Amino acid sequence: MDGSRPGRPAVSLDGLGKKFRLTHDRNWTLKATVLNGHRTRYEEFWALRDLTLDVDHGDTFGIIGGNGSGKSTLLKVLAGILRPDEGRASVDGRLSALLELGAGFHPELTGRENVYLNGAILGFTSRDIRRRFDDIVGFAELDRFIDEPVRNYSSGMYVRLGFSVAIHVEPEVLLVDEVLAVGDLSFQKRCLDRFARLKAEGRTIVVVSHDLDMVGWLCDRTAWIQNGALRAVGPSAEVIDRFATGAEGTVGDGGNGSDPTGGGLGLERLSSDDLVRSVGLVDPNGHPTATVGSGRPVRFRVRYDADAAGEPVTVALGLYRADGTHVASINSGAATRGVSHDRSTTAADHGDGAGIVEVDYDVPTLPVQPGTYELSVALHDATMRKVLERHTHLLRFEVEPTGVDPQNGLVALGGTWAAR
Amino acid sequence: MPASRRVRSTTRRSRRDLVRLLQVDLLVNLTLRDLRSKYKRSALGWTWSVLNPLVAVVVYSAVFSVFLRIQPTTGDPSGIRSYAVFLLVTLLPWQFHVTSLTEATRSITANGPLITKIWFPRWVLPTSSVLARFLTLLVEMAVLLVLIAVIEGHYAFAWIPVVLVLMALQLLFTIGLALMVGAANVYFRDVQHFLGVALAPWMFLTPILYPLDMVPTDREFLGMGYRTLYQLNPMVSWAEAYRNALYDLRFPSIERWLAIVGATVVVLALGAALFRRLEPRMAEEV
Repeated sequence: MDGSRPGRPAVSLDGLGKKFRLTHDRNWTLKATVLNGHRTRYEEFWALRDLTLDVDHGDTFGIIGGNGSGKSTLLKVLAGILRPDEGRASVDGRLSALLELGAGFHPELTGRENVYLNGAILGFTSRDIRRRFDDIVGFAELDRFIDEPVRNYSSGMYVRLGFSVAIHVEPEVLLVDEVLAVGDLSFQKRCLDRFARLKAEGRTIVVVSHDLDMVGWLCDRTAWIQNGALRAVGPSAEVIDRFATGAEGTVGDGGNGSDPTGGGLGLERLSSDDLVRSVGLVDPNGHPTATVGSGRPVRFRVRYDADAAGEPVTVALGLYRADGTHVASINSGAATRGVSHDRSTTAADHGDGAGIVEVDYDVPTLPVQPGTYELSVALHDATMRKVLERHTHLLRFEVEPTGVDPQNGLVALGGTWAAR
Repeated sequence: MPASRRVRSTTRRSRRDLVRLLQVDLLVNLTLRDLRSKYKRSALGWTWSVLNPLVAVVVYSAVFSVFLRIQPTTGDPSGIRSYAVFLLVTLLPWQFHVTSLTEATRSITANGPLITKIWFPRWVLPTSSVLARFLTLLVEMAVLLVLIAVIEGHYAFAWIPVVLVLMALQLLFTIGLALMVGAANVYFRDVQHFLGVALAPWMFLTPILYPLDMVPTDREFLGMGYRTLYQLNPMVSWAEAYRNALYDLRFPSIERWLAIVGATVVVLALGAALFRRLEPRMAEEV
């Protein structure tokens, strides 16, 4: 940690913005520029806008978001590849970016020559590399092939060598873009072990990934980016939860994973001021229930005050295992949109008092393994842009074993065996 | 561009101290990559780099010396009179000029995958292309010196320091040009085609195949004598200076040196300035 100073965040973004030019005529030429009088037609597109964020030294920080949300652009700005157009991005300490493994490899050169070349591109001196050479080759498990041209390498060997060089740069800040899924299982495991070691050594790791489980497992804190803007930042479990259910807001920044929405899990959290009035499970016979069998039918029922909502509502449900693993998210989409307008009839049907709407989500066979699960509920406006209300881990329920076969894992496949 | 200066990230600043030391390693490695990969998977390998000037000398000698009867000057004070030597002392530096620029033009665009994935100072790419060709030139010039000694029986060895200074200045001059064309080619791919068109006339407008004396002094164009206009080409100064040192065996005139140093400083400064201006958005445009 020689290059870092105490008291400064490892990564600091201050009003960061990055715009791209969308050139309509991509094949613009010198002639065209001269003839048009240096006016080329392009549209500006802000890939990132107004991002303010700090990552402390020693943090493992996740960045999640949908495709095209700006995650990778952010990483490239941090890596110095792209220059910000607004604001500031600073990284404190020696940086290594794993954006694409083996990007600097030359196919005609041997593995050995490429290790030196790639190391130099990543900022190593030849002496540094010579000292670590055996470690690099050993980690990549390429001892026998290191003097072969890399064009003869399999894609797995290629990325293993790339990963190995990058990880041996011994960065104080490591940027990783969706590259953990390389090599076979044993190599992946050693990659994760290496991340854990870097983490234990107090190095800062910033991970961009679509793998929410991995982010949840690896990262202390997570930021959710959407359309180039920061939607939420805070303890990973909560941000991932919000991302999965499509909600927004900044989670209280406790930093140590404490739940700022305040302890109690369950329906007692609902008050008469809330739009959501109740959420529960209903069995096939229409009776409320607290448990459901694995692979059996179940109906999730949400009741909310459409009167108070005052606009068409989309209902979103998030199903989680008790350990926080995200199982599924669904939303009612258009199905509930018309409801608030003719709620008089709906409400009358149920006789539950003015304005209360009941929404059911029917699952013919609940395809999850036995265990304890939690349900999150969120109400959005009809366009899903605005969150009206959200309750994380509102309902806790048990899924009970039903089959005779011992099962493990995340889902219940519901298959049958046959032997001939 | 005050805005971009304001937002320059400290990522670059904190790394700059380190990088200043490391660029030597980066340049060495990229230059080696260039040299090692150049003749990989070719049967003749490095023979090609010898064959190229050899064929040029034979063809040019036949056409210009035998067919067109161009007379080389007599070396003063060396007394040499050989078209092949007369030609080679300027042709080898010229071929360095041509191959360097051709390869430097594509050095950034061809490394697009690298540029969009890893940050490193981009100027090392055109520079290492030039350096790789420069190492080739060093070997060729050494061979040439030996050839002159063996065939002509005259010894140009005493002039090696002068030639080395000329070569060092030409290296810097070429790096300046390489930075310009390499960076500009990212934004306008016309540059690489333009260069292909421009290099041939440029060669014929430099005293390589014929002596400078043959350029007329008694005709004018736009109020300037042909010879004066002709000498605006900076490569004229290098060609004449190389020829002075290796063919005539005398010290180039002070005017030549001033022109050479002036051109080097101006081109290198312009190249660096242009490159710095075009560098920030290279990863987006490449």
